[in-house]
Amino acid sequence: MGGRSRVAAQMLSGKGFSEVYNLAGGIKGWTSESAFGVEELGLSYFEGAETPETNLIVAYSLEQGLRDFYLSMIPAVKNKDARDLFQKLADIEINHQNRIYNEYLSFSEQSVSREEFEQSIVARVAEGGLTTQEYLNIFKPDLESSVDIISLAMSIEAQALDLYQRAADKTSDERSKKILMKIAEEERVHLNELGKLMDSMNT
Amino acid sequence: MRWKQFLTPVKSIDAEQARSHITGKSPAEVTILDVRQPGEYESGHIPGAKLIPLPDLTHRMDEIAKDKPTFVY
Repeated sequence: MGGRSRVAAQMLSGKGFSEVYNLAGGIKGWTSESAFGVEELGLSYFEGAETPETNLIVAYSLEQGLRDFYLSMIPAVKNKDARDLFQKLADIEINHQNRIYNEYLSFSEQSVSREEFEQSIVARVAEGGLTTQEYLNIFKPDLESSVDIISLAMSIEAQALDLYQRAADKTSDERSKKILMKIAEEERVHLNELGKLMDSMNT
Repeated sequence: MRWKQFLTPVKSIDAEQARSHITGKSPAEVTILDVRQPGEYESGHIPGAKLIPLPDLTHRMDEIAKDKPTFVY
């Protein structure tokens, strides 16, 4: 399962929908009687960072995760269009990281090298979380199925989009709001591209 | 890379539980939301489901009633 419905349910919950359920097992669970089990992940909320600096650190870390995910999926998919798109998306996430790092420098009072930034500051934020592999284990995509992998990529991009929008809403700093919105918009474009790729595979 | 802080919990429900929620209710009382792509919807969907593909969701949320139970797949 790709986790798209889970992310969608989460986005609705965050927008004031009173009662939202993710239908575990999706359409397969509905049509066949096979039990997929209820996902009980017990993961903590992203609290929403308070300062522009923390927002940017989390954003940087998220981009790293997206990039790692795409790079690790390239050898796993057989479809060439999917491989090319994943490579392109992985490259774009580097641009995002560069922008986020430069923004961080302009907020931070002391100068921090890129290496220091990654090793101490970003690594600390991500401590205790799931590795990309563990994340994959939760959603259990069928790595032979391009549709499953693209579906998972869509759910991760949607998660990123949602995160950036929430962070942009929360920050009172106009400049970082603008940057976060711009990145959110780019993640939405990625999501659309993945959607088109998915459409092309179903025909 | 570690992901924990990006995942938020959401109530999950299996098909059996969902059926018992939905059974006996009119379509006006609940929303069944299909967030897959149009091609996937066409090749089979839950009767009465509303299609809003995930990439469109942020722009089209106002099409769904906030005060009714929503089942997403």
